[in-house]
This record gives sequence, C-alpha cells and structure tokens, in this order.
Amino acid sequence: MFKHSIDMLMFEADPAHYQLCSDLGHCCEDIATVHLARHLPSGTLVAIKKFNMDKSKQEANLIQHEIILTRQLQHPNVLPYYAAFVSGPEVVVVAPLMAYGSCRDLLSSHFTDGLPEAAIAFILRDVLQGLDYVHRKGYIHRAIRASHILVSSCGRACLSGLRYACRIVEHGRWQRSVHSFPCSTACNLNWLSPEVLEQNLHGYNEKSDVYSIGMTACELANGVVPFAHTPTTLMLTEKVRGCAPQLLDHSTLPSLYDDDGGQQSALHDSGVGDSVASNMMQLKAVQQRRFSEPFHQLAELCLQRDPTLRPSASQLLAHSFFKQCRQRHADTAPTVPRLLHPVMPICDRRVDSQDDLASILAAEKLAELEIEPDQWDF
Amino acid sequence: MPLFGKSQKSPAEVVKALKEAVNALERGDKKAEKAQEDVSKNLVLIKNMLYGTSDAEPQTDIIVAQLAQELYNSNLLLLLIQNLNRIDFEGKKDVAQVFNNILRRQIGTRSPTVEYICTKPEILFTLMAGYEHQEIALNCGTMLRECARYEALAKIMLYSDDFFNFFRYVEVSTFDIASDAFSTFKELLTRHKILCAEFLEINYDKVFSHYQRLLNSENYVTRRQSLKLLGELLLDRHNFTVMTRYISNPDNLKLMMNMLKEKSRNIQFEAFHVFKVFVANPNKPKPILDILLRNQEKLVEFLTRFHTDRSEDEQFNDEKAYLIKQIKELKPLTEH
Repeated sequence: MFKHSIDMLMFEADPAHYQLCSDLGHCCEDIATVHLARHLPSGTLVAIKKFNMDKSKQEANLIQHEIILTRQLQHPNVLPYYAAFVSGPEVVVVAPLMAYGSCRDLLSSHFTDGLPEAAIAFILRDVLQGLDYVHRKGYIHRAIRASHILVSSCGRACLSGLRYACRIVEHGRWQRSVHSFPCSTACNLNWLSPEVLEQNLHGYNEKSDVYSIGMTACELANGVVPFAHTPTTLMLTEKVRGCAPQLLDHSTLPSLYDDDGGQQSALHDSGVGDSVASNMMQLKAVQQRRFSEPFHQLAELCLQRDPTLRPSASQLLAHSFFKQCRQRHADTAPTVPRLLHPVMPICDRRVDSQDDLASILAAEKLAELEIEPDQWDF
Repeated sequence: MPLFGKSQKSPAEVVKALKEAVNALERGDKKAEKAQEDVSKNLVLIKNMLYGTSDAEPQTDIIVAQLAQELYNSNLLLLLIQNLNRIDFEGKKDVAQVFNNILRRQIGTRSPTVEYICTKPEILFTLMAGYEHQEIALNCGTMLRECARYEALAKIMLYSDDFFNFFRYVEVSTFDIASDAFSTFKELLTRHKILCAEFLEINYDKVFSHYQRLLNSENYVTRRQSLKLLGELLLDRHNFTVMTRYISNPDNLKLMMNMLKEKSRNIQFEAFHVFKVFVANPNKPKPILDILLRNQEKLVEFLTRFHTDRSEDEQFNDEKAYLIKQIKELKPLTEH
C-alpha cells in the first residue's frame, strides 16, 4: 500500500530531484513518454510521465483535467501522482513505479492468449475496488481497459487513465444520468458501453464503467479486446443489438472440427481475428482451456445490454468469482507475481543501462538547439 | 430506507455537532483524533442530506432550508474554510461539495447563500488565500469557481487587493495548483462581461503590467495560457476600450511579433490571434504603423510561410490572407 500522505510530501515539484534512467514507453497517443527515474533525495525508483504540451491541442485540457482529478483521489487501487510540474514545454508527472507495466503490456509481451484466470481475479478485484471508490467520489471513469490497469512489483493493480473521466455531480446535484460524450476517445470505443456510444437522450451513468469492466475481463482472458478487428460502425450496431462478447474457451469456441461457417462467425464476433486463426496450435489451446463458471457469469453480468441489470462495482466485489482471492495458505497461495511468471518486474538490478540515458540526454540536447531566426527590425 | 430511521439527527443538531468538532480540531488538544472523526462523520451526514445517497433521495426542501439557515447563523461555512487544512483528505472534498450545493440554493430569484456571503466577504478572501497552501488549494479552487458564477461575488473578488495574488498563484511550480488557479483567474476575468470590462478599464495599467510578466514567464504553460486568454479578452467586443488601448502601444506589438517567432508552434499560433488585431485596426497610431512598415516585406514573407500545414483551418487561412493583403497595402501617413 502507498502511505500516501507521507509519500506525497516527500516528492517535490523540482526537476533537479529526479534523474532519468531509461525509457519505458509512450502513452496517450504519443503525446507522453514514460521514463524510469530515480528520486535523488530518497533514492527510490519512480515512473515519470512527460507530456509534450506543444504537441497537444485539445488534449492539453484533458491532461490538466487528469492531473487535477488524480491529485484529488486517494485509494490504494488508483494510481496516484506524487507531483506535477512544468519543465520546458513539458508537463512532468511523478508516479510510483508500476513494475509489471500495464496489463496491455503483459498481454502483448507474453500472455498473447490471455492471462491466467487466477491472475485476472486478483487484478479485477483490485480494479473494482478502485472503481468503486471513483464512483463513490462522483466520477465515471469512461476508459477502463487493460492499458489503463497497471501492476506493481508486488502484484497490486491500479487504475489509471483518468483524463476521460467525467463528474456525476453537476450543478450541486448528483445527476441520475450524464450525456456528455468523452472527447479524444476514438481509441477507447471498443470498451465503451452501448449507451455511451448511442449518445441518446437517456444518457448513461456509472454502470457504463461496469460494461467496460466486462470488456476488459474479455480482453484479459482472451488476449485481445472483443471487436478488435470489427469496423467501428459494425461494432456499434452489434453492441446496440445486444450482442454480448464472451470469454473464449471450450464452452464458447466451437470445436476445431466444426464446419467452417460457425467457426468464422464466432471468431468474428469475439474479435479474435486473423492473428489467432492463422495459428492453429494457439487456437487449439484456447479451445481446450476452461474458465470457471463464475468467471463466465461475471463477464455476462457486466456485459448486459440494459445498464439497470448490471451490478454496481461494489456488488461485483461480492461475486463468487473473487472467492479465489480470499484463500490464503501462506506459501502455496498463488500470488500475482507467481502467476505472472516468467514475466519479470522492473527492479533496481535492471537499471544499469546508461546507454539509454545517454541517448535520452542527447535527444534532449538536440531538441534544445535553437536556430535563431531572422530578427524583426524595431 | 426505514420510515422511522433510528435517531435521524435534525439539521440543527448536525450543525451544532460539526461546529463543536471543528472547534475541537482547531484547539488541537488531546482529543484531536476523535474530533477529526466527528468532523468527517458530520460532514458526510450533511452531504447526504443535500445530495442523497445511492439508496436515499436528498432531503426535502424544508430540511435543506433549515440546514442552510443553521449554517448561516452558526457561521460554520467560514469556520470550515478557515480550518480546511486541519480536516482530513476526503473531508476537505466534502466541505467543498456541501459549500457548492448550499451556494446554489435559490428561493425564487433570490440566492440566499450569495446574499449571506456578500455580508461575510472573509469567506471569499479565505478561499482565495487557499491557493497559498498546497494541501487545500484545489478544494478552494472548486469553491471559488462556483462563487465566481455569481456577479456579486465575482465583483468582491475582482476588486479586492487579493485578486492580484492570482498573478503569482498561476505561476507556482506545482502544475495542478497553477493550472487550477488559472481556471479561476480566467473565470473571474471573463464570466460577467460588463463587470469584467469595467474592471479592466479602471485597472488597465495595474492589470496589464502584471499581465506582461505572465506573457514573459519562464513557465511554458503559463505563457501559453495567458497568451490565449489575452487573445480572448481583446477579441471580446465588451472589451473594446481595453483592446483599443492595448493595440496602440508599440511595446505590445513588439512582444507579439517576437512571440510569432517563438520555438513553440502553439505560442506562435496564439500570438497570431493577438497580432492580427494590431494589423486589422483601421486607425493605427503612427508608432504602430511605423513598426509594421519597417518590417513590411519581412512580415509578408513570414506570414506567407506561417503554419502552411493548417490547410483545414479555413478561418485561419482567410485571416492570414487578409493580414498579408493589409500589410502589403500599408502606406506611410501622408503629412498634412
């Protein structure tokens, strides 16, 4: 757990306190880069996100919104920002290092067919605890997806990506429904609920996040989000018609030896497109695996077309799927790090490549070079 | 929800309990922990009366009216804001939610809370000073912007000496606080058009000498935001007098021409929207005209190559073409 109040005070808004170690990747449609860095006064490793404000236009507001909102939330399962400051044309955000990266990273780098069910149970439980808090504080997240779930070295999952969040409390009232459509959300469409996508007069409420939890559960289990290879308009009509994606295992994927037609359509609906179909071995493994009945139920509950039928985040936490997280037989109990083996978290030992650092610094130097343009004549 | 809930506290009782708890917190004696707990608990009770919960509707208008009256009489709003830094993290947000809800209360066309705050302007000054303290700055910001929606309250804030502290707050090193302060600052300067125009006219010299510092700030975000706001202020027809004055000063033109050449494309673009006003002015004072004439060819060439990739932005391209034409046709004033 983060000891927020103590940690927050420790990290100051001073660029000189942080030394970049290496590049961890890009995010927010390439407006931001993520770096591993060392907080010099304490020696701890942190993650540093740099938003290039000069690249962003309307996103600048989203970034500001995300930082201000994140600073006003405190929950062990919501990624905190320790500090945020401006350095050159960049807004720099200091966050705890989430050593396993995002769940999307885990899926892309190793678990291409999906994570083990037990790991998903731990991760989703954490995410729901964070989400329940976000809802109680009066916000709808609107962008729950594997890439917005980060996993720490001890296996705790945190929700991030709050720039798309909106308030339920408006005009001094707790609104029954919200009508605004999130901006710059093209990348999140697959995870959004039918009622958000429809943009009709009924609006939507925090239950739309529960739908996204269902989509994320499928994404974590299948390795790919439902409708990933479906054209957007078709995805929309399918969702509005009430087509509910499923977890892919022996019960939902027709046998390999079925007639081609059935197989094709099943694959199409669930979004597992060519990548899996092209690899028969992989497909076979997916067809032979068995997800538990509670897991199937959980996904089904979340992905119901009618938002009023979906359980709330706090109700979901009582679902039998999460029973497996409560078994504690000390050393034999599965923990997220064990379940994620052989993926290794980023840790101190792996922070020695100075090459990385040198290239970052060189690039920054280059960027600072300014060719003096022709001067005005006053 | 049971019909006869067990010991539902009356508004008077909750307000009294909360006031005692905040007083205890302020004294900071041994019972501070208990006081903290009581503050949180009673704040949640009040919040639930106003907003309702997932399984209970908000309280009836009568109860809310009683609650508001108790809050005014007990002076609790000010007390809560003065002790905001002592209240725990979630409690601070609850204070803001309670405050914002009570502020919006209406009886017909009257806003009793607004009237109440007009008689207690310390509430506003305490909130503004909240930007000095990291741990309460954002909470104070949400309350201030809610207050700024009311002309009477915006006026008190604009015309207070404390208003000029905003020029410092929008530049503090913590990004979230600086940008929150900027939102409040902008709200105060743009929300009530006539009030704002009057304020800017009366305080032109003081405001724009402070504003100049923001435009020259080391902080990229401050510079960009303040430049954008300047464009919006000058182009608002309510601020015609202010605009005329601004575009008559050659120093302002020089600054904008230099900003057109800044490294950052966004700053160049925002500067363009201020620069165009100088050129479009049909009655350019001689010093302005002289600068434009001295740079006539350079400007034409510069503007022709300026942001040519914005081919989709029709308005921008029309404006740019217009400026180029205007500058080409500039002639020295004929001596009489």
